Amino acid sequence: MWKVLSGVFLGWSLGANDSANIFGTGVATGVVRYRTAIILTSVFLFIGAILEGPKCMKTVSEVSRLIPIEAFCCTLAAAITMTILTLIAVPASASQAIIGTVIGAGMLSGTADFSKLYKIISCWVFTPVSGIFFGYVLHRFSGYLLNKTVLNITHRNMLYFIGILVSGCYGAYSLGANNVANVTGVYVGSGILSAEAAALIGGLSIVSGVLTYSKKVMMTVGKGIVPLDPFSAFVVVLTGALTLHIFTQIGVPVSSSQAVVGAVVGVGIVGDLQTISPKMLMKIAGGWIMTPVSACIFTCLLVSVINF
Amino acid sequence: MFLEKILSQGKKEQSVIESINRHIRLLCTACETFSTALKNRDANLMRNIIELEREGDFVRRNIISDIYQGAFLPYLRPELCRFVEIVDRVFDLLEDTALQYLDTEIPEQVKDECARVSFLNVRICEMLLITFDAMVKGDDLREKTLAIRIYEKKIDDIKFDLIRDIRKLPITNFWEGKILADFVSGLTTISDIIEDASDHLQIINVSMRA
Repeated sequence: MWKVLSGVFLGWSLGANDSANIFGTGVATGVVRYRTAIILTSVFLFIGAILEGPKCMKTVSEVSRLIPIEAFCCTLAAAITMTILTLIAVPASASQAIIGTVIGAGMLSGTADFSKLYKIISCWVFTPVSGIFFGYVLHRFSGYLLNKTVLNITHRNMLYFIGILVSGCYGAYSLGANNVANVTGVYVGSGILSAEAAALIGGLSIVSGVLTYSKKVMMTVGKGIVPLDPFSAFVVVLTGALTLHIFTQIGVPVSSSQAVVGAVVGVGIVGDLQTISPKMLMKIAGGWIMTPVSACIFTCLLVSVINF
Repeated sequence: MFLEKILSQGKKEQSVIESINRHIRLLCTACETFSTALKNRDANLMRNIIELEREGDFVRRNIISDIYQGAFLPYLRPELCRFVEIVDRVFDLLEDTALQYLDTEIPEQVKDECARVSFLNVRICEMLLITFDAMVKGDDLREKTLAIRIYEKKIDDIKFDLIRDIRKLPITNFWEGKILADFVSGLTTISDIIEDASDHLQIINVSMRA
């Protein structure tokens, strides 16, 4: 059972980093207190992990047939890769890192199934695209509806406050449902854990990251995002949550950060803002390549050292 | 905290709105008092403006305190506070102008024009109140802000005539001339600040729209 510790570490760092995508703007702008945000995130993230977390585990475990020690190496390599890439300011996705590690371990053992990668990589590409699409559509449609129905300033203020809270809770649920597979999905494939146990342990490890180390990233990400009005902030979080939830039903873990980036772009398009920059696109595309490749190489090294 | 906010159903926000409404009504009362005092040459009535300004300060402090105790989203709080501060500037200017009136004798040649400007200041204040109520309801503010701009333009036109007329007056003492000039300047600047306040309401209105 000690082999799940690396997964717990990966879950902790995922919780510490990715929870900023949910309530980051809300906390940084003072709409929601940090303590409220982390409690809501923890509760709904855990519920999402338990209820729908197993949906994406099959995809992760089917990429390669892993033995327990390889599963340990994969999650450890993913966690270390994420840490290093974060330190050198390359946007790193846990989903891409874990797939890279699983492929790496699979290549060494000769069990890697590259045909599964087509579906996974398509979902990675479509994550920010879906974010843009849903962000634009939701902003247009709900904005039109709101401007026709709720005009009073106090009613609208209350609506925005509740909207940010509800979309944040949904975002936490979707994050738990989609990303818990990154953390403990490999243990299901290697037979250490059942899908339900993996969801439980993974969910708890992500929650521990949220509760213990999310403040700094939350404030940094929240303040760093393009200053959004309350309605746009609500749409961005809702879009991110919806995107993650859709890909959960497809069964592929994807990046919550890229879903949010897409949502911000989609909302920006409504306001005719120049939020798409070639530099940003290069960064995302670079992450798609660097993260799984680095994780793959690192896993190969780790497995080789352990087998040696 | 968030449960308290949801269950309160916007009571804090409603209280702030009512206080700002009261603040603007107080300003209308102050402008009306000024206009009546100027028309009737009533110095005692003019002194009431000082009390009204003090009351306006009290209401302003309560509004800002209520806002920062949790009313409205943080996004909106600075804008509402800024609006209240702008209205407070009108109070301060009105008080200064009232004191200048008490400190000098307004020449007959410009009394009618001053009375006309003070009357228009009352109208522009009332228009600001209507604009604020419309902003709270989420109505279109364009017609109301246009009306305020029209009043402000009328006052500006009278201001140029006033300045031209007071330049023709013989001034025997520098300070008499300065106080008279400050009085005319204060009287005609009130509408400019109210126009700024109405522009700010438009900013708040637009920022809350989806």
